[in-house]
Amino acid sequence: MGAFEYRQAEEIRQTFARHAIRYLFLGKSGAILLGFPDTTQDADVFLERTSENCSALAIALQELGFSLDPAQICEIERGKDFIQLKNGPFDLDIIFAPDGIERFEDAWRRRVEVEGFPVCHLDDIIASKAATNRQKDRESLPRLRAFRNWWMARQSR
Amino acid sequence: MSSSSGNIPDEREGEIPREWREEFEAAASRPLSLRMRYAFIRTYKPVLDDALFRSWNSTAEYREWCEEYLPAWLGYGRV
Repeated sequence: MGAFEYRQAEEIRQTFARHAIRYLFLGKSGAILLGFPDTTQDADVFLERTSENCSALAIALQELGFSLDPAQICEIERGKDFIQLKNGPFDLDIIFAPDGIERFEDAWRRRVEVEGFPVCHLDDIIASKAATNRQKDRESLPRLRAFRNWWMARQSR
Repeated sequence: MSSSSGNIPDEREGEIPREWREEFEAAASRPLSLRMRYAFIRTYKPVLDDALFRSWNSTAEYREWCEEYLPAWLGYGRV
């Protein structure tokens, strides 16, 4: 399996749109979509936990090429908090309850669209990473916060 | 503008190290498809990459699992 590509992000966008799935790119993959120059390995998506959204997600993931057995489909349909997929064309983390973000609806209201990709606002990405408090996040947060300041100044021009 | 610890610059509001600012501006001049090609990489991560599907009932359980099973050097442990 290779690294996550723009073409695959487009496939997510198209497939999720076809199934009316409410989702947001989150984490470093979201920051990268917003222009943050850094590296990461997988894509993280934050989904609204409604039964319709979860059921549609299970179908969409199979259309994207993820190989899911009935038990795994059931776990996705239940909307388990954190699901890690490495059984498809790219690695994908499915997150229904990220640290540091209270409600999907709030993050959705603050989202930023980049070429049609719905992305969490940098403030939410930073809040999530800060709440997680992992070693790797702590190392990347100063630069991410600096990027947020630069990006906000650029947006207001 | 570097901190006393060496490489990590101060992150006071509004002060962006010149080197970082140049990186942000350079990235902004590239199309998203190219930025993604530079950003997404693929390397093997022990344990984490050894199962095709994992799920956790709560994000807290996921964090605990990372701390218990992943090598510390991957950086998934909480500070």
